[in-house]
Amino acid sequence: MSVTAEVGPMPAGARVSVRRRSHTNVGLVVKTSLKKFHPKEQVRNPIMFVVYVCFFLVLTIALVPSAFPDLLREGFDRSYFLEVAIILLLTLWFANLAEAIAEAQGKAQADSLRTMRSGIQARQVLPDGRRTWVSPSHLHMGDLVEARPGDTIPLDGDVVKGGALIDESMMTGESEAALRESGGDRTSVLGGSRVLRGTIEVRVTAEPGTSFLDKMIKLVESTSRDKSPNELSLMIILTALTTALLVVVVTLAYLLRFSGLGSLNIATLIALVVCLAPTTIGGLLSAIGISGVNRVARSNVVAKSGKAIEAAGDLDILILDKTGTITVGNRLAVQLVPAPSVSATEVQKAALLASTLDDTPEGRSIARLAHLRGARLDPSVRVEEGRVVPFTPSRRMSGFVLADGTEAMKGAMSAVEDYAGAMPVPLRQTAMDASRQGMTPLVIAVNKRIMGVVLLKDVVKPGIHSRLQELKLMGIRTIMCTGDNRLTAASIAKESGVDDFVAEAKPETKLELIQREKLYGHLVAMTGDGTNDAPALARADVGLAMNSGTSAAKEAGNMVDLDSDPTKIIEVISIGKQLLITRGALTTFSITNDVAKYFAIVPAIFVGSVNVAALNVLGLANPKLAVLAALLFNALMIPALIPLALTGASFRPATAVELLRRNLVLYGAGGLVSAFAGIKLLYIAMSYLTPSMLGGLVSSLLRLVGVG
Amino acid sequence: MTSIFSVWDVGLALLVGLVLARYLGIYMARVFMDRPTLLDGFFAPIERGIYRLVGTNPRRAMGWKEYAASLLLLNAFALVFVLVLLMEQSLLPYNFWSAQGMSWDLAFHTSASFTTNTDFQHYAGEGGVSLLADLAGLQMLMFLSAVSGLCVVVAFIRGFVRRDGTLGNFWADATRAVTRVFFPLAVICALIFVLMGVDQTLAQATTVPDLGGGGMLVPSGPLASWGGIELLGSNGGGYFASNFAHPLQAPTAVVLLTGAVIMMLIPFATPFMFGEMTRRPREAYPLIAAVLAIFLVALGLFFIFELGNPALSGLPVSQSAGYGLMGGETRFTLGEDALFQVTSIYANVGATAMALQSLTPGAQMVLLWGMFLQDAPGGVGTGFGMLLVNALLAVFIAGLMVGRTPEYLGCKIGRSEMKWAAVSLLSHPFAILVPLALTVSWPGLLHATAGNTPQGFTEILYEFTSEAANNGSGMGYPGYAGDTTPYFNVLGGVIMLVGRFLPIIAMLAIGGALAREPTLPPGPGTLRTQSATFTIYLIGFLLVVSGLLFLPVLALGPFSSGVTLP
Repeated sequence: MSVTAEVGPMPAGARVSVRRRSHTNVGLVVKTSLKKFHPKEQVRNPIMFVVYVCFFLVLTIALVPSAFPDLLREGFDRSYFLEVAIILLLTLWFANLAEAIAEAQGKAQADSLRTMRSGIQARQVLPDGRRTWVSPSHLHMGDLVEARPGDTIPLDGDVVKGGALIDESMMTGESEAALRESGGDRTSVLGGSRVLRGTIEVRVTAEPGTSFLDKMIKLVESTSRDKSPNELSLMIILTALTTALLVVVVTLAYLLRFSGLGSLNIATLIALVVCLAPTTIGGLLSAIGISGVNRVARSNVVAKSGKAIEAAGDLDILILDKTGTITVGNRLAVQLVPAPSVSATEVQKAALLASTLDDTPEGRSIARLAHLRGARLDPSVRVEEGRVVPFTPSRRMSGFVLADGTEAMKGAMSAVEDYAGAMPVPLRQTAMDASRQGMTPLVIAVNKRIMGVVLLKDVVKPGIHSRLQELKLMGIRTIMCTGDNRLTAASIAKESGVDDFVAEAKPETKLELIQREKLYGHLVAMTGDGTNDAPALARADVGLAMNSGTSAAKEAGNMVDLDSDPTKIIEVISIGKQLLITRGALTTFSITNDVAKYFAIVPAIFVGSVNVAALNVLGLANPKLAVLAALLFNALMIPALIPLALTGASFRPATAVELLRRNLVLYGAGGLVSAFAGIKLLYIAMSYLTPSMLGGLVSSLLRLVGVG
Repeated sequence: MTSIFSVWDVGLALLVGLVLARYLGIYMARVFMDRPTLLDGFFAPIERGIYRLVGTNPRRAMGWKEYAASLLLLNAFALVFVLVLLMEQSLLPYNFWSAQGMSWDLAFHTSASFTTNTDFQHYAGEGGVSLLADLAGLQMLMFLSAVSGLCVVVAFIRGFVRRDGTLGNFWADATRAVTRVFFPLAVICALIFVLMGVDQTLAQATTVPDLGGGGMLVPSGPLASWGGIELLGSNGGGYFASNFAHPLQAPTAVVLLTGAVIMMLIPFATPFMFGEMTRRPREAYPLIAAVLAIFLVALGLFFIFELGNPALSGLPVSQSAGYGLMGGETRFTLGEDALFQVTSIYANVGATAMALQSLTPGAQMVLLWGMFLQDAPGGVGTGFGMLLVNALLAVFIAGLMVGRTPEYLGCKIGRSEMKWAAVSLLSHPFAILVPLALTVSWPGLLHATAGNTPQGFTEILYEFTSEAANNGSGMGYPGYAGDTTPYFNVLGGVIMLVGRFLPIIAMLAIGGALAREPTLPPGPGTLRTQSATFTIYLIGFLLVVSGLLFLPVLALGPFSSGVTLP
């Protein structure tokens, strides 16, 4: 049977049009948030669990007050208890809602990713050469599949035969088609991308369910995500604080009863517990973590774990490839210098001739420069009869030989000198100067006569300087890695603003560099795409592999950038930092809020004491209303801050002390002022309501169902 | 007549204390880093002898668990020894005033009190303990508890420096703390007091001519040496019941001011020692600045609250002497008294020169807050240790706010550190509030009328706070029925032991955890803890956390009595 045997058309319905979409389903969010009232869900968060228990306590007392004669000696006001219970319920629901929204965002993202894959059929190449349609879920690692124009590649893999233009826009949002071919560093294809032109054979490198797509789906929709060490530490502190405050209030009940000073109202004390417990951060903590993962996914980076994202916030060293990251990737010709006895026109013509049919980027840029300066090939030159002399490492020259034997060569100084004899002194001087400034001089010789020098220069990417400056502000030292000599490297380093560079780097240099820096305790990140980057990517704390790179590189890194943009690492770092800042900021906010709530509730407890009235700085005359205002403010802070938890606290690169000052003012002082103002405003607003309107409403409802 | 505005001597004493503390801190760092010091020739052979006697190799470093176990073992041994000594003192010599053997519960309270550096005295100072028990028992514990405190903070600080998980050798640290720090300093302090006219005698009584022409026996004793280690080691237990308000213990204002300087010495020297030991002297400054700011504000507030009694304003009563007319030692100026008293409470010494129950509610609040804080500057060793624990908590939250996994002095703050910091944070409110609630709720424990007034409540609160903070100062007899009942003795002893050793274990555990973290080189993204921003933040953190935990009890006590400016 012939190897190219057809297998017929793809089964109907197999081709689906996919578009990334992401919207949250309100009904689902509400439903999820209600489901989270289950005690099993609540007990996972000790802070909210305290609120949960408090809610049931108040509710029970409100419903069956006769069971608690001891607690209610002071007189019992059912509507007050009901109002407290309602606000507690709201507090819990708001916290559930925050988590449900974050999860829904992740799920929407996962769904849109998943639709990409549904309905795909793969054309498997069997060992005997036949093709057969299979579902991707039946493929295994090592299987071969064929993809023709219009086909969707079923799973991640490496191109083993042929080359094709591939549309990865569904995966990456990148509209420009990418070239993937067997051999070299551009063999890797992503499951879900579509072949535009060319036919390739792909060896599957991922089991179904383990491709990057699957990992991404799993990460964004898993609710039982790994908590990072920082989150766990913060939870310890918050739990300790809650416990301590619980001790404070429980003992206060006994102390009040003993001293007979304040009014011992159990609902007020419970309100005090809930107000003092850091419910704002407690209610939003898990939403913050989930949204961090979502934001990374939204920027088209597949992180293999949430921990890697946080590690990104901690980085202090970033190793960057020069080529492709800092510079546009190729050296371009910028200047032509003739030898002393040669005219400018002659050297331009020679340069053009030496670069004829040279399709290296350098060669093309020389030709373009010469062309720009007005040089044209003589009409007598018959290009099609000539012969290109390609660049080889041993020859270190390239050029063009015409049919009449004219040899136009260009190459490194030493190589051309070996070939054409010593260079004229002034020209040599120019070349040396240029190379000191980081340019690469190529000497041009026609028929062993040195005509001049063309200077090539690495062009720094536009905008890279300011991005590196941002990194510097964040306290991240950048190290550029390049195979260039020291002079060239130093010049690029200076122009781009990297802090340090390693010149004449060999493939293993990056790994050595990472190991050395880690030895000093640094956290190192690097980006890479080649197979020889894999060990370094694996060793780095954050290894961001390029999607265009090899499978080995993507397997080794702990993140993959679907856009293959090495500067994306900066975005990931920002997200990691935002994650931590949001947690710290909301913790500070929670704690400074407490101060204001104290000044609302403590005077309400000591309502009879003239002396303690001095603490009533807000002038809240009605103690029950004061307690309700503080409690309601406490509850409302959670939904008010959901957007902040989901988008992350704003982060501008700045020094640590500046950031601290800014966030202390914003969230520390802000928490204090907003709580004082908010409680006062709520108090005023609530005092316009008929007394215990809400409670009255609930009481009559209860009467209706026969409980009261 | 003394003027309330003659506070220049107070400022001078503060300055002298701080300057001396700086040099002492550098010296102590040399001692505990095993660097050569002036006294090597004299002490090194003695120390070698002690090491041989104990059978320890001073070079063998211990992990935190072994360090803590050694410390606890030594303290437990000493506690039991003194307990027996106090119970059997009537059978032993040097018992001039025929002190009776203590009951088991009083002996337990007293022994625990002096072991934990609290020196809360439920017995009457001069009559309740024989000279032998005073010197071989209580004064020995005064040294031991101060030495233990200093060892703890030294080991804790080593956690920031060492990377192998070890914190040093407890036996070597304890020996050097005695020979190089406490013994020489106590001798110097005693000599200074003697030069200033404080009694130093084993005769236990001085005959003083009375008005009738005859003579009366006035109790006395080794007051200079006792007073020296009492203040130097932040012990605070008085030889006399009236402590530094006794005219033989503090005959002149100069003695009182010198006493304040001595109390400041080691607590303020420790941050400097920390700077030297971590080889980052500048890191000490923000900590000292924060502590000093709180301390000076407290001193100022105390002074202002004692300027007059607001209840008397409008009445034809001159209040030009200050003191709100009660509780002050009128031989001295208000400034001198305030410096001594505030230093004593804020450095967790607990020595008194005033009658605390007669202070205005505002002044009482200032003193209580010092014991809620425990670290401004706090007692020998443990005070600064507590400050470091709080700084770690503050740095953790601040570190998050700048977007990095928090680190302090190049050490990452991980879960283990936060877990133990949480233990330390929780131990204080637990140790104060739970016994307090228990005591007031259990019928029959308190006299029927006790605590029914805000002042009565403040006195009970003060008792437990003082015990939990290992301070040792007292405010009257809050039980009314006498707080020397077995209940108060046993409960008090347990509070002191918990308040002392739970944070100590936490500090050593944090030190051990830090010593296992890799060091991170500082970079521009690292939160610089040497900035004014951080100092202000730290002050706010300390005040807010202590305020959140203790505002309700302050409202029940001093605020209900009426905290008003004169």
